[in-house]
Amino acid sequence: MIDINVWTGYWNTLFVKGDVETVRRTVQAYGVEQIFMAPLDAAWCPDPHLYNEVVYKASDRYDDIFPVPIIDPTLPNWQKELNRAAACTEVRLIKLLPGYGGYDLSETDDFFTSVCEAKLGVMIQVRIDDPRHQHPLAQAPDVPASSIAAVAERNPDVTIIIGGASTSTIHALKEQLITLPNLHADTSQLDGLDAIKILVEDSLLPKLIYGSHAPLFMPASSIARILNDLDDESAMKIMRGNGERILNYDF
Amino acid sequence: MTISSLRKQILPDGLVLDIHVHPVHCFGPYTVASVKEDVQRLTASARRSGVTKMCVFSLCPSTPYEPTPDQCGEANDYVLAMRDKAPEIFIPFCYVTPAYPDEAVAEIDRCVRGAQMAGIKLWVARRATDPGLDPIMVQAVQLDVPVLQHAWLKTTGNLPGESTPCDVAELARRHPDARIIMAHLNGAGFRGIEAIVDVPNVVIDTSGGDPESSMVEAAVARLGPDRVVYGSDAPIRHFGVSINKVIGAEIPVEVKRAILWDNAAGLLKMDTR
Repeated sequence: MIDINVWTGYWNTLFVKGDVETVRRTVQAYGVEQIFMAPLDAAWCPDPHLYNEVVYKASDRYDDIFPVPIIDPTLPNWQKELNRAAACTEVRLIKLLPGYGGYDLSETDDFFTSVCEAKLGVMIQVRIDDPRHQHPLAQAPDVPASSIAAVAERNPDVTIIIGGASTSTIHALKEQLITLPNLHADTSQLDGLDAIKILVEDSLLPKLIYGSHAPLFMPASSIARILNDLDDESAMKIMRGNGERILNYDF
Repeated sequence: MTISSLRKQILPDGLVLDIHVHPVHCFGPYTVASVKEDVQRLTASARRSGVTKMCVFSLCPSTPYEPTPDQCGEANDYVLAMRDKAPEIFIPFCYVTPAYPDEAVAEIDRCVRGAQMAGIKLWVARRATDPGLDPIMVQAVQLDVPVLQHAWLKTTGNLPGESTPCDVAELARRHPDARIIMAHLNGAGFRGIEAIVDVPNVVIDTSGGDPESSMVEAAVARLGPDRVVYGSDAPIRHFGVSINKVIGAEIPVEVKRAILWDNAAGLLKMDTR
């Protein structure tokens, strides 16, 4: 199994056990064999690149951890950070947090040109936590998923994964997800009755990749939304096959 | 790990009573043409996730924040019809609005005394501090049924009539003989748990919000294992996602069973097991 959306670190509004070892054990307990891990503390840091070392080191220690560095395309040193990611064979995916960096995705075309040359996939996170539950003095709005689809449309050779979007958001992007071969979505914040079942009936099965959002969310819940409503074959496409196909495209 | 063992890991190993479910006709995701279809949709999904029984309350198809007494009556007729279709699964609660206390009392009399509904549901028409709730609570005590009160603590601001956990605590202190279920553990959060620690006639349901780590553990640690009951808020939330807030929590297995069935069954005074 591949978990495309795992974090390590700590969060201001939740009491999570976010050290690398505990998070690794937690997701392994639910059968995950490839852990795509991003640094959670980076979200609120003015220079999120400072925290990428945490996941590079974790990957050095554990073969099943694939670092997902967070890059801010508005920082002057983004190219250097991107080069570092491209030079690391374990990095297949980088992550953008526009809601926390406070930038507009429409202003990142140079960055995506370089990402394309680096042959890396990009997860763009819609939300980390529910705005209703954020700290009153530390709020980050959701990133419009339509702006992520627009990035995919402008950069057809870059694999783009929408991270942390709701079921209704993904449902509303159905046409773009089907039309754009480079656009995908993780399952980490899909909820509601029959959530994934309905998206699969919408022909979105090839576009969904399993993500737990651990340690913020419980992996058991993340697995249940898939396994309880799908047969083995469909479930394994989301939990392994799609991720292999999308992320190992150049390996 | 095989996929079959993984499936077993995320399913409950015993009975599950979901204290907080709405009909599909309130919140989708399907457009249902009949009570029968609603029952089928909810039941099929619930069974896949291991739910045995569910307390169901309608908030009317248009979910108005200020429902009229007539709308409440229609909502209650709907869940009574659901029980008629599947009495072994659905336990209806009576939805009333404290904006119309006299009508609410009459509706409770019709639905609880007359039609044996098992509880009362209060949503966002008035905060729990409003005196309009008092006759409702008095009648709940007389009829010996619990009251499930919506609560949330929103950074983005509550609705004018939306109760905070502190409001619910105040209600419970005004009516110490009432049995109150405060809805939405993940909406109430850590501060919400603390608000009711010293109010023993309030239990909290695990419904609402995302499956955030450590919340169920925090509720059990601060309130004790007897004051937490499982709820999903389906169809807004997924039954399996919600159940696994409990199954996946780092708490003893007997506490998980209490949350998933025993505590709610006790609250409803059901003959169980």
